[in-house]
Amino acid sequence: MMQQRLSEKSAQRKAGDTLLSVRNLCKHFPIREGILQSTVGHVRAVDGVSFDIRRGETVGLVGESGCGKTTLSQCVAGLTTPTSGEILFDTGRGGPLGQEDRIDAMPRDRYRTYRRNTQMVFQDNFASLNPRELVIDCIGRPLRVYNEASGSELTERVVELLEQVGLGRQHLYRYPHQFSGGQRQRISIARALALDPELIVLDEPTSALDVSVQAQILNLLWDLQKHRHLAYLFVTHDLSVVRHMADRTVTMYLGRVVEQGPTETIFGNAAHPYTKALLAAKPDLDDDPSVPIATLEGVVPDPARPPKGCRFHTRCPVATPDCGWEVDDIVRLLEADETLFQSLQGVARKTDLEAGLTFADETAAAALHAALGSDRVPLAMRTATETLDLNGKTVNIRFRETEEVSLTDRGEGHQAACVLGRGGQ
Amino acid sequence: MTAHDMPKAPVIAEVRDLRVQFDSKRGNVHAVDGVGFQIRDGEMLGLVGETGCGKSVTGRAFLNLIPRPPAKIAGGRVLFRPRGGAPCPDCAGEGCEACGRTGTETVDLLTLPPKPMRAIRGARIAMIFQDPGKALNPTLTIGAQLAEVFLQHRSEALLAEAGVSPEETGWQANALRRMAREEDRWLDRRLKGLPPLSSAAAKLDAALDAHVAAALAETQIPNPARVMRAYPHELSGGMRQRVMIAQALACDPDLIIADEPTTALDVTIQARILDLIKTLQRKRRTSVLYISHDLSLVRRVCDRVAVMYAGRIAEIGTVAQVFADPRHPYTQGLIAAVPRAGTGRGHLASIPGSVPELVDPPPGCRFADRCAHVMAECTRANPVAREVAPGHQSVCFLEKTGQTAAPATSEASTT
Amino acid sequence: MAMTDPILSESAAKVRLRRQGEVLRSLMTNPTTALGMIIIILLLGMAIFAPYLMPPNIPDPYQMPRDWGATRMPPGTPGHPLGTTNQGGDVLYGVVWGSRSSLQMSLIVVSVTVVIGVVIGSIAGIVGGWIDEALMRVVDIFLSIPELIFALAVAAILGPSFTNIILSLCIVFWVKYARIMRAQIILIRQSDYVQAARVMGDSRFNIFRRDILPNASTPIAVQATLDMGNIVLVGATLSFIGLSESGIAEWGVLVSEGQAGIASGRWWASTFPGLMIFLWALAFNLVGDGLRDALDPRTEGKR
Repeated sequence: MMQQRLSEKSAQRKAGDTLLSVRNLCKHFPIREGILQSTVGHVRAVDGVSFDIRRGETVGLVGESGCGKTTLSQCVAGLTTPTSGEILFDTGRGGPLGQEDRIDAMPRDRYRTYRRNTQMVFQDNFASLNPRELVIDCIGRPLRVYNEASGSELTERVVELLEQVGLGRQHLYRYPHQFSGGQRQRISIARALALDPELIVLDEPTSALDVSVQAQILNLLWDLQKHRHLAYLFVTHDLSVVRHMADRTVTMYLGRVVEQGPTETIFGNAAHPYTKALLAAKPDLDDDPSVPIATLEGVVPDPARPPKGCRFHTRCPVATPDCGWEVDDIVRLLEADETLFQSLQGVARKTDLEAGLTFADETAAAALHAALGSDRVPLAMRTATETLDLNGKTVNIRFRETEEVSLTDRGEGHQAACVLGRGGQ
Repeated sequence: MTAHDMPKAPVIAEVRDLRVQFDSKRGNVHAVDGVGFQIRDGEMLGLVGETGCGKSVTGRAFLNLIPRPPAKIAGGRVLFRPRGGAPCPDCAGEGCEACGRTGTETVDLLTLPPKPMRAIRGARIAMIFQDPGKALNPTLTIGAQLAEVFLQHRSEALLAEAGVSPEETGWQANALRRMAREEDRWLDRRLKGLPPLSSAAAKLDAALDAHVAAALAETQIPNPARVMRAYPHELSGGMRQRVMIAQALACDPDLIIADEPTTALDVTIQARILDLIKTLQRKRRTSVLYISHDLSLVRRVCDRVAVMYAGRIAEIGTVAQVFADPRHPYTQGLIAAVPRAGTGRGHLASIPGSVPELVDPPPGCRFADRCAHVMAECTRANPVAREVAPGHQSVCFLEKTGQTAAPATSEASTT
Repeated sequence: MAMTDPILSESAAKVRLRRQGEVLRSLMTNPTTALGMIIIILLLGMAIFAPYLMPPNIPDPYQMPRDWGATRMPPGTPGHPLGTTNQGGDVLYGVVWGSRSSLQMSLIVVSVTVVIGVVIGSIAGIVGGWIDEALMRVVDIFLSIPELIFALAVAAILGPSFTNIILSLCIVFWVKYARIMRAQIILIRQSDYVQAARVMGDSRFNIFRRDILPNASTPIAVQATLDMGNIVLVGATLSFIGLSESGIAEWGVLVSEGQAGIASGRWWASTFPGLMIFLWALAFNLVGDGLRDALDPRTEGKR
């Protein structure tokens, strides 16, 4: 029965076809304040992300906390409704993916196809299992939802699934707390496999596990993918795991994709400075221990008002004048310098690039004016300054116009959003 | 542990045959079962192992932070020789075997009465916790929390800076002394703002603030003055960990117990915190016990490493020795299980099975049922440490028989 | 092969039953909880077998019998082992039949309030929005008034009778359940296992029935157990200040009617019923605390 279902499916499946396509996806969370809960701004968790997942491949999604990778994975799994943009899923309609394949605009029966073909495994192996459900009920639940099996057939199907993840019949009637972390993660995987999906979203599936258990789970995921032609969206902060598992890697920073491409290319020949910084910061058992760990300065800016241009330019070690310097960069500078920030009275912003900053006294204005011309700000920022003049208590500044920084091709399936090397320079 | 013939730095701390057991419904859990190692002056010793191997409990034993009950210390000693402590009674400060060549008297941290323990805690031995969000008090400003360390351990210096000499008597000086020791009374606080006391009290506060700001600045916190007034929740995770480090280093301790200090942080922030810990440790020649589950990290920052498994030490040696030539099958398995740049895609070498239950365990090697090289004697008796190279020990029967666990087995299962 | 396989003879129902047994066993291993359980069993036994322990008074067994020939007798009097009241009521009869009144009162109030509270809390938690806001403000108002004073006010308005005491307690005690239920729903709804159920496409009703309700039931059960004791305490207080009918076999009424005699040395008429109130409240509080630990699936099996 299982075999038959599998062969039917594999007939439809063509390796390399796009299974899921994320196009220009945005998810903004409103920030509410006050008694009336009025919206004062939006946290742009995911802000214009596009990428594809092909059948049978693993896409690694990496980035640090707050980069939007979890929100993005929840959108893909259908747990969160995006603010704008679209997610297209191949439900076997035939032909290239189009507007009819949007998961939020599908007819009911095809949405059900999407729903059962996209499953998810969570990071916290304890929290993702209902503590009051026996293993048989937990793994059998998706089968019950879709009326696939009941009674002894259900039991046999669950046993089959348990055996596929390295557990057995003896585990059927146990509660989640009676298992170790690795075993619970196996149960989660078995539950995700129950409906024989085409895509599994793996949200940090091994981050809570020990190294030796992680190796077991990664091997299991690897085998299952080979046997069942699964596609994985592997969300993680652990670069060595991504390097090991992913066919293609997508790097995110502050809600945007900064680089994507084949994993070997990303790890061997990264184009974006942020990807390079991530790679350099991660110690590896094969690297030279005498080389000091490269560090990245600065803090991640507030996602409610992300930097213009390339969002990484505030921390980028190789920033250029074309990276999108703006008035907010001065505000960020002032926030770090308390004395100046306190005497700041107002920012008259004409555009994002031009503003007058008024201070309580002339010395503060002069201090800022001096700082903006000194090496307290990056050279790239100084070069990007078109006008900078001091007028009593006001500092007027204008930055030069720059192009929007978007993903550009860097080679076979490799794209990066960086001013450097853009357009084959 | 035997003494090595190589010239070595003095041993400032030592764990000898530590046994910690937890009471449970099903019996005694032998969480730490005969752990022993030495920490030399100015070195960074990594303690690696997986969840539940007893590494954190061992680290906490240094500060007497093991909750008793449910835990009980079933045996062993945790010895410590603080710099500037009383001279060793055996050699009168010359440095002998009994005092690990430090020349100072050895104290057993497990039997130390509460009062001298408090004097050591924070001042001579400090701890950095995994989750800085939980280790900092959410209701106090960062400045107030750091000030507490100085008030506890540095009141003399504070008084000197406030212009109160030790000879001075009179109610004003006494009131200031109480403030500097955090023993101020209700009346002192009322009088603090009034003329006869206010100027000296202000000096005391200024001295305190200066100390706190200096401690924060040393951890490269930008804008220490603002951080001092902030509450923990207003800071990012990396910044909170810096505050924790500032707090740990405030009194220039001899030994820092760092329990997974970067596990909760992102990679780029982790890199900066590691860099900071390493720099400060080198600068001050502080010894660090670095507890972590991350092998690649320990390899980067530590001088020596001890691998723990199921409450026991499996292998100990310099980082170069252990990572280049792992002798214990568990160490080999652990190293092989880490995905790294050199391993191809596909299967990782994983250790079969899972960690044994430590409820009243039978004698024998704890790793025996997962070990590819298991022999008859492995389940009969406890293995003892064998020196495989100077300073490199493996607790495995393979060493006695002269065989070496062939690391090739892990590669065989890779394909 | 299937016949010999011990695991096949296993069934979900058996495992669940065994788990309930485990919960009960872990309850009994805690000495204070075990003490509470023993007291509760004895009190329940007394309530159930009251007609056999003390022959019921005809026509209304809940009315104290009057033996005008033996008023104000001290404990140890033949036929009246715990003495008699001013009106010649047998104190032992009051103690035994009073347990029935208390059991009735607490069972009725707890079952009514749990149902009301769970329904209102579920509506607030699931529907959300302004309905949630409105319901929770009502709950806040209820919670801002101390239980006893609120119940007293309601009972005073309704007029003195045992039924009205029960009614007033029902009006007062549902709020805690509503609040617990709502908090649990909001907490559990965000949990990964509910997310997992959503990903597999399960219906909202099923998620409520299989994920939210079983997991929310623990704190509800604990609160209900604690309230079994508290309700008798508050109910007795209301009776004591005269909001019940006089002359009925109810511990609060007995304490109230007996207290006048304490000054003249007749301590027994109010001490024994008072002791029963104390035991009842204590026992349920002990068991409630034990239940909190025993029902948590995370602590069980570990340590």
